[in-house]
Amino acid sequence: MPANSEPASDDADTVLRIVVLPKHLHARPAGRIAQAASRHPATTVELHNGHRKANARSVLGVMGLGAVAGSEVRVLTTGAGADAVADEIVDILCAPEDDQP
Amino acid sequence: MVGIVLISHSSGLAEGAAELAGQIAGGARVVAAGGTDDGRLGTSTERIAEAIAAADAGDGVLLLPDLGSSVLSALSLLDDLDPDPDGKRLRIADAPFVEGAVAAAVAASSGFDLAAVARAAEEARDARKL
Repeated sequence: MPANSEPASDDADTVLRIVVLPKHLHARPAGRIAQAASRHPATTVELHNGHRKANARSVLGVMGLGAVAGSEVRVLTTGAGADAVADEIVDILCAPEDDQP
Repeated sequence: MVGIVLISHSSGLAEGAAELAGQIAGGARVVAAGGTDDGRLGTSTERIAEAIAAADAGDGVLLLPDLGSSVLSALSLLDDLDPDPDGKRLRIADAPFVEGAVAAAVAASSGFDLAAVARAAEEARDARKL
């Protein structure tokens, strides 16, 4: 995906949440995000960190965002239940620090 | 749920990758098949066959070999166990070992079918970590 493409937030149906990460986006929360996004096949879920973007269903894509503590991560959801799905993803991003990985 | 078998020359490598993938993908069925029966580096078709049986919950099993004879053992075993392959019982993923294991485990734990789990593993070839 080109780094300079327009964010999906221009679409009226897209929900945007912005989270300042309280912790690094470790492997385990990345797995939980991918699992959560996969539970909602009718909803498109993207995470943006600066110019990097990931389909939230891809655990490697989410880890590849390189989102460290303090990063401003944008959660964009489109489709069925976009609001609730965005909340679910934000909850995982903001959950208290767990053990490595 | 699709099961996943990690095949390596090294028991430690297979066990460690299975532990990591299982941690990241809570609930996944990831089984290690590493080393020889007497604890040396190598591959054992018996161990792989046992791991397949342990991983199989009826929705198919993805084999992920690391390299070299792990791949050859997996291929020869596939001929024996699934002589008339339809891609629903057993598949081999052509993917990096650790990243592929993690991606496949997350996809399997999310309820995807064997074809989609194999695709998730193989997408790991293109995943950037930096």
